[in-house]
Amino acid sequence: MGLHRFKPLPSGRMGILWTLAAIRDAALVEFGCMGHMLYSGVTLKRAGVHNACKLYSTHIDETDIALGGTERLNHTIDNVVKRDQPRVIFLLPSSIPEVIGTDLPALCAELQPEYPGVRLLPFGYGGFNITHHRGVQEALQLLVKTLPADVKRTQEPTFNIIGSCADLFRFQADAMELVRIMEGTFGIKPLCVMTSDTSITEIENMGGAHINLVIRREGEPAAKHLRQRFGTPYLLGRPYGIDGTTRWLEQIAQIAGLTPDSAFLKEQREISWQQLASVMPSFSHIIRAHPEEAVLSLGGHADVVRGILTFGCGELSLAKGTCWCDCPDMTSEDIPYFSEDEWTRAVQEHKKGYLMASGEALEWAGRNAELQISNPDIKWRLHPYEPPFTGFRGAVHLVNLWINENIED
Amino acid sequence: MKSNNGIKFLTPAVSPGNHCPMRIASVNVEKIKDLSSLLVGMPECTTYSRLFNPKPEGRHGELHWLYVLDAHEVVFGCRDGLIDALRKMDKAGAKAILMIVTCVPELIGEDIQAIINEVQPELSTRVTFVMLGQFKNISYPPGSWKTMEALGTLMDGKATASNRVNVLGRAPEEEHIPMPSLLPTLTRRGLALRYLAPGSSLDDLQSAPDAALNLVVSPFMQALAARMEQEYGVPYIALHTLYDVESIDKAYTALAEYFGFSWDNTFKKERQEALSLQSQAKERLGGLRYVFCPRIDIPLPLAVYLTGLGMEPLLLHLEEYYPEDRGYAKELIDMGHNPWICRMVNAQADLPILKKLAPDLCFGYLPEPNKTITCVPDLFDFYGQVGYARTSHLLKRILDVLSEMNATGKGGTAHGSASI
Repeated sequence: MGLHRFKPLPSGRMGILWTLAAIRDAALVEFGCMGHMLYSGVTLKRAGVHNACKLYSTHIDETDIALGGTERLNHTIDNVVKRDQPRVIFLLPSSIPEVIGTDLPALCAELQPEYPGVRLLPFGYGGFNITHHRGVQEALQLLVKTLPADVKRTQEPTFNIIGSCADLFRFQADAMELVRIMEGTFGIKPLCVMTSDTSITEIENMGGAHINLVIRREGEPAAKHLRQRFGTPYLLGRPYGIDGTTRWLEQIAQIAGLTPDSAFLKEQREISWQQLASVMPSFSHIIRAHPEEAVLSLGGHADVVRGILTFGCGELSLAKGTCWCDCPDMTSEDIPYFSEDEWTRAVQEHKKGYLMASGEALEWAGRNAELQISNPDIKWRLHPYEPPFTGFRGAVHLVNLWINENIED
Repeated sequence: MKSNNGIKFLTPAVSPGNHCPMRIASVNVEKIKDLSSLLVGMPECTTYSRLFNPKPEGRHGELHWLYVLDAHEVVFGCRDGLIDALRKMDKAGAKAILMIVTCVPELIGEDIQAIINEVQPELSTRVTFVMLGQFKNISYPPGSWKTMEALGTLMDGKATASNRVNVLGRAPEEEHIPMPSLLPTLTRRGLALRYLAPGSSLDDLQSAPDAALNLVVSPFMQALAARMEQEYGVPYIALHTLYDVESIDKAYTALAEYFGFSWDNTFKKERQEALSLQSQAKERLGGLRYVFCPRIDIPLPLAVYLTGLGMEPLLLHLEEYYPEDRGYAKELIDMGHNPWICRMVNAQADLPILKKLAPDLCFGYLPEPNKTITCVPDLFDFYGQVGYARTSHLLKRILDVLSEMNATGKGGTAHGSASI
C-alpha cells in the first residue's frame, strides 16, 4: 500500500465490520485493541447506523500476544451473553490476532457448547491482502450460508435486497427508494434488506422471498447460494435513471413472474419527467452549445459509477469524462481502478463538467461537495432521509444536482 | 500495581473503551505549527486517524501523510518503504517529521530508530518517532506525553537565557483555560515566558533548551521536562500535581529563590481563600468515601490530596500510571489506604458495581444522570491550571455539590456507609 495522503483502501476486516454492524438482535465482538472498535463505532454513527448491532472489543495486551492468551475473549463473550442476550455474536479478528495467527473459528467451536441459546459466528478474511469489498462479499456470503432457516416461500410475493451496506454512500436512502418502487410496482414487501435495515430474524426468514435483488456485485455469491438452496431467482443491478429503473422493474417482473402495476409505473415516469421538464431545455442547450461542460466524470464503487454513467450518458446525452472505481478487483476497461496518484490527477485535470466522487476528494479539490456519490465521507449523516441516487426519485435528484452545478459555474 | 499493566479492567467487555494513543498524537501533531507527521500502520489506524487530523496538508505547509503496510511488509518489514516515504516528505518540504508508529509495525519489531539513523544524514528535515501500539499503551495519555517527549529529539542545545522560563503544558493562545495568576506575575518580575504545548510552533519547541527553568503545568509534559533536564540541564518544577496549600507554598518559594526574589504578599489573598476552603473541606469531607471514574487527568496526586483531607478512597479509575505516580501510590498507602485500582472500559456495565460500592462522592464521568451516586463531574476543565486558585476552584466545586446534596436530603453521610 505504501505512502498515502488520503484515506487508504479499507481492509477486508473493515468491510466485514461495516456489513455486520447494522444487524439488529446481534452483538459484534472484535478480538483486538479497543481503539479499532471505538473508532469503527464512531464511523458507523457518522454514516447513520444507530441502535443496531452492539459493538464490543476485548482489547489485547502484550501478555496476551506473548502467551497467545484468549481469556479476554471468553470473558467478553460470557459478559455479552449475560448482559444483552443477543441471538448471534459475530466475532472478528483485528490486525494483531491476524499477525499472531489466533484461530477464532476454533475458539468459537470450543466455546459454543457453553452458550446453547446464542450462536457464535466467527468471520475470517482478516488477511492483509484483502480489500474491503472482498470483506463485504465474504460477510454477506457467510450470513446467508449460516443463518437462513428452512422456510417455505411466503404466500404473498416478497423480496430481499442484498448488498445495502454501510460502506456505500447514501446506502439507506437508496434502499428506501428501491423498497418504495417495489411496493408501488408489485405491491410486495421486503423480507430482508441486507444489511442496512434488518435483524437476525429477518435474515433467518429470507429464504421465503420470491426474488433477491442484488444491488452490488459483492452480493452475487450470496444470491447464488440462496438460489441453490431455496431456488430463489435473483437480479444483479442498481437501477438508475427513469428508463433504467423501468427496465430494472421489467426484468424483475420477468424473473419473478410478477405483474407490474402499469398505472403506478406510468405515473412515476410522468412525475419524474414533469419534474425534469423545466430544466431540460437548459440541459439540451448545454449539451448542444457547450459540450465541454456536458462531461460527466465519476469516481466511486464500480456499480454506482456504471449506473450513474449509464443514466447520464444514455438517457441525457452527457459525454463520458474520466471515470474510475475504488476497488482493484473491479477494474474494467471503461471504468478502471485508480490509485491515489491517479484519482488525484484526474480530479485536478477535470476543469469543466460534472465531477462526482468521494467527499474526501471533492473537499480536497475545492469542488462542489453536493456532488458526492461515494465514500470516504467527510460529514455526519445522522438521518437516512436524504434524496436517493437510485430509482425514479434518484434520477430527478441527479439532474437537480447537475443543473445547479451549471448555475454555480 | 507497579505499572500500566497492573491496571485491570473493571468489567471485561469493552464498550466503547478508552481512546487509542494514536488519536491524541494525531490531534496534537496537527496543532504544532511547521511539524509534519507520518502515521505508520494498517488501514484501520490510518483511516481512523483522519477523524482527528483530517487533512493531508496543514495551513503552514505541514504534511500529515500516512504509511500503510501491505501483506508483504507485515511479514518482512517496512524499512525500505518508510525510507522512501521520508525521502518523499523531505523533498515535498517537511521541516520536521514525527513518525507515529501504531500496533502492527510495533508488533513486528520494526526498528524505527535504525531506519532514522540510516536515512537522517541525507535528509534536510529532522525526524523523530513515537511508538504507540495500543497493546502496550492501553489508553490515550501516552499519545500525549510520549509524543511530546519524542519532540525532545528535535531540540537544539543553546546558551541559557537567564530570564527565560518555559511553561510546559499551556499553549501560547489558550482562550478556554483561565490563566493561573502565577504566570503573569512572573512576567511582571521580568521573566520571559515561552508556552510549550500542542498549539506552539516547532521553532518554539526547538529553541526550548535555552530556558533557565521549566515550569510543568500538565501531566502530559512532565516526561519532556525530565528529558530536557537530563539532556540539556534545564531544571524543572512540577506544579500540576500540587493541590495542598503547603506544597504550593514550598514550590512558589523555591521558584522565587531560584530567580533571586521574594513574593512578599503577592498571593496573600488567593492563598488565604484556599486555606479557608481547605479547612472547610476538612470539616465537611472528612469520613466521606469516594471513587474516581474516567476523565480525571491527574488522579493519584488528587487522590492523595483528598485523602489528606480525611476522605476515604474506595476505587480509582486510572487512565495511566505515570512514571512519577509510584511516589503518590506510596504516599496513599502510607496514609493507611490501599484502594482498588481499575480501568473502566464499559460505563453501562460498570455502573452497577459503582452503585454497589455506594460511595458518598464520585469524581469524573458517570454514564447517565444518576440519582443514587452524588457526582463531581468532569474535572478536565482544570487542565493547565495550577496554584492556589485551582485548589480553591476544586474545593468550591466539591463543597457546592455537597451543599446541593444536603439541601435535597439525599446521599452523603446522611445515608451512612455501606460495606464493600
